[in-house]
Amino acid sequence: MPFDPESLSGSRYRQRNLTAVVGVAFALVLLRLFTMQVLQGGKYRELSEENRIRVEVIAAPRGDIRDRHGLLIADNVPSFTVTLDPYDKTFVDTPARLDSTVARLGGILGVDPGLLREQVRRDGKQSFLPVRLKRNVDRTTVAYVAEHESELPGVDVEFEPLRRYPLGQMASHLLGYVGEVSDKELEDPERADYLRGDLIGKMGIERQYERYLRGEAGKRFVEVNAMGRKAALLGEKHPIQPVQGAALMLTIDANLQRAAEEAFAPGARGAAVAMDPRTGEILALASKPNYDPNEFSTGISQERWAVLSEGGNFPLFNRAIQAAYPPGSTLKPFVALAGLMMGAIQPGTTFRETCNGAFQFGRRSFRCWKPEGHGTLALRDAVAQSCDVYFYQLGVRLGLDRLAEFMKRIHVSDRSGIDLPQERRGLFPDAAWYDKRYGAGLWSRGLVLNLAIGQGETSLTPIKLAQLTALIANGGIMVRPHVIREIEEDGRPVAGLIPSQDSVGTRIDLPAAPLASVRAAMEAVVADEHGTGYSAKVESVRVAGKTGTAQNPHGNDHALFICFAPVENPRIAVAVLVENAGHGSTAAAPIAQKVLQAFFHPEADTLRAVATR
Amino acid sequence: MPLVRGTGDVDRPLLLVTVLLALIGIAFVFSATSMTSAAAEHGLYLKQLIWLVVALAGGALAAAVPYRIYVGRSAWLLYAMGLGLLVLTLFIGHVGLGAQRWLGWGPLKFQPSELAKVATVVLLANFLSERKLDLTQLRSLAKPLLAAGVPFLLVLKQPDLGTSVTFLTILFTMLYWAGLPLFYLFLLLSPVINVAASFFLPAWILFAAVLSAVLYRSRLRLAPILFVVAINLVVGIVTPQVWNHLQPYQRQRIATFLDPAADPYGAGYQIIQSKIAIGSGQALGKGFLHGSQKALAFLPEQHTDFIFSVVGEETGFFGAAAVTVLYFILIYRGIRIAHHARNRFAGLLAVGLTSIFLYHVLVNICMTVGLAPVTGLPLPLLSYGGTSLLTSFLQVGLIQNIAMRWREY
Repeated sequence: MPFDPESLSGSRYRQRNLTAVVGVAFALVLLRLFTMQVLQGGKYRELSEENRIRVEVIAAPRGDIRDRHGLLIADNVPSFTVTLDPYDKTFVDTPARLDSTVARLGGILGVDPGLLREQVRRDGKQSFLPVRLKRNVDRTTVAYVAEHESELPGVDVEFEPLRRYPLGQMASHLLGYVGEVSDKELEDPERADYLRGDLIGKMGIERQYERYLRGEAGKRFVEVNAMGRKAALLGEKHPIQPVQGAALMLTIDANLQRAAEEAFAPGARGAAVAMDPRTGEILALASKPNYDPNEFSTGISQERWAVLSEGGNFPLFNRAIQAAYPPGSTLKPFVALAGLMMGAIQPGTTFRETCNGAFQFGRRSFRCWKPEGHGTLALRDAVAQSCDVYFYQLGVRLGLDRLAEFMKRIHVSDRSGIDLPQERRGLFPDAAWYDKRYGAGLWSRGLVLNLAIGQGETSLTPIKLAQLTALIANGGIMVRPHVIREIEEDGRPVAGLIPSQDSVGTRIDLPAAPLASVRAAMEAVVADEHGTGYSAKVESVRVAGKTGTAQNPHGNDHALFICFAPVENPRIAVAVLVENAGHGSTAAAPIAQKVLQAFFHPEADTLRAVATR
Repeated sequence: MPLVRGTGDVDRPLLLVTVLLALIGIAFVFSATSMTSAAAEHGLYLKQLIWLVVALAGGALAAAVPYRIYVGRSAWLLYAMGLGLLVLTLFIGHVGLGAQRWLGWGPLKFQPSELAKVATVVLLANFLSERKLDLTQLRSLAKPLLAAGVPFLLVLKQPDLGTSVTFLTILFTMLYWAGLPLFYLFLLLSPVINVAASFFLPAWILFAAVLSAVLYRSRLRLAPILFVVAINLVVGIVTPQVWNHLQPYQRQRIATFLDPAADPYGAGYQIIQSKIAIGSGQALGKGFLHGSQKALAFLPEQHTDFIFSVVGEETGFFGAAAVTVLYFILIYRGIRIAHHARNRFAGLLAVGLTSIFLYHVLVNICMTVGLAPVTGLPLPLLSYGGTSLLTSFLQVGLIQNIAMRWREY
């Protein structure tokens, strides 16, 4: 035991010293309290009763968003917001005034006073900042509020930047929109620096790049006197100025985006994605129908939101990335590639059963889309004319396992990895999936026939379809699709966000010969007289494509089309889907054609000239 | 007066003061949360009351088990546990106020630095109670320096500047108690003073002059002198670098302390509002539950770090002074018990535990009256927080443990 039998030497002396030091420290504290409370107490009492020091937040403008050529597609305009300070001296003294003021404001702003009261109660809890009652108030109302200042205690008009999308509905799903931060979002510890009433990106780019776009709010320190009016700006020496959010430059070409969106018939539902197959840069990403993101900037009403989010056509839904559809015959080039690579067929192979409009497998008959039949075809014509019977037999020869293995190798069931929120995963089922779904061995071998023509449980998002098309176009590189070209913070580009030239994607081992055969077959789809994609032809450009007409449980067939061009050195890959529109050749290929036309022959376009003026 | 009577009784003034402070704390947690419209805070005083029961039981246990079990290997075990949890916090801790300080199991949250503080005191008491300890030898100083330095750095890394300095306070207080001459204490402290002085050139010149004079007149050999000079030189050069690498919130807090108006929204706002609250309490206060600064939610974190501001506003100078005096009594009794203990280990343990209270109380109260920067340190026994209350009672329990066994060698 290391116990010392002796007491500490000099302990009494140390105890006295330590006690004295502590005593002096506490005496100083008491002296300080006495000075503050007794000698200067009156001054502080006055400060506490008559002068409230209040913080005003100066909202930061969000970063601008431009297209790849510098065309402005999102910026800010100044606007007025009417606020109410529930901790105003008047309300503290006579709480009844709060109710009457809110009631009066309801009339002035044209908002139900009940809703306002609820908002004041809820937001007032969270901080001692004034509650933002209504954004984007017009000048007449602002003038009215200013004139009746004395009758409206605690009411103030703040200057706030309002998010504006000058192109209106264009690219709405890509851009997303901003709205007041929700209670659920506020619970996220990463959003600790958001206050209720703050704006936050809710969808698309606005949400994905929120941390760059948001900027930093500034602060003003205001002394408010007994009358509730601003007395002196205590912090005027150093108000903290807001910092605008970072400017984004997109990979999007506004011209192409417009061409894609206008190519859809009014009222049509669907999506179109155009991508640079060399880099993964998204050139256009359209989803129909659109909505107007400007509607959200000022705060949208409950009823209007219900219409947009649940109304018949689900306009808020980004069909390009959030919806997976059966790819139909657009999957055939990939099935053909699987056949060639696995050695199941050669380019010249023909199958025993000639196409007479149907194929007998076991006791079931599988029909070709062309009732009169295609006759005996080899790969090129089978793709060009989209012969189902050829692919039924290819599917049988490959078998589910080999087909599923190939689809796994090209990541069909994975997300494309685009830098937008809420991307949905596609699916190409394999034996394990069927075992889980139906029980081991309880499913028919005939399923592979449907899978081989892109039906059955297979489903893909339009963005994934575009990525896979790019894979054929660029010779085996799985590019990562992205919409951001550059982020500029404080005038300097932010590094490390955008994949660099040599890391645009992962290389997948696809031998050149099979790829060349498939590319040639896809070119025939558009170039051949009998090709199903004839309507995607563009003057003086070699286009390769594939149509698709996908049966689905929700009504008419979906029309699909995928393509890339020019064949010799592809610079654009496109995927188009139109819901319940019928044939890919008549409903989807023409849309792709307009996108290609705008890409290769933009002369006729005047959008940029108009919009930049 | 149990010590005079020589019985194995607890120190009654200490017990009384501790329980009184905890009850005052619950009353003001009630007051501080009674006006907030956040319904979630309304029941907090009840939670604190339940925690008081737990804390009393914990304190009784800490007093009952003879302190000898903290001698030897168990001290190392405790210390290893404390450090282990600190390291764990760095990886999986909850982030609060830009720092990782908490570990949690379900609804329970716990600051591992609380355990580390007590464990460090126990280990230091072990080191410093060794026979034939010559503190003027650099070699015998190395172990205590390391024992306090490691948790200091770990907590600094979280980053929690305020709490990390606790370990230095413990170290210096216990070294002094163990017999380190004031002159050596000054040399040991010189790098710390150096850091503080380096922000203000005249102060630094004065410090350098004093240090030089002291070293010149000392009878130290050349090697130790060179050592002290070298350390001070390094610190002098490194401080500006460290300042540049401080977390923005830390830099802001220090800058705000020097000039509250420079950051009117953040920490400066807190200090200004806290001073207005305390000052406006005047001599007699606005009355329990009637603080207006508090009612308007101008006081930040009023039931935790700034609870003393509510006391000052509602009970005025008399209330605030009374609470301050109660804390002085608590610390005075702690030192007294340390002095009376016949066993060197027990004395050191008591004085180390007391120094934890001393540091927290002074820094927190000084913060609310604008004499110290905003550090985020709670006021022991008064601030809301279950595990904090429990730890305070465990510490008092240990001090009582020594008071009950003061005769033992």
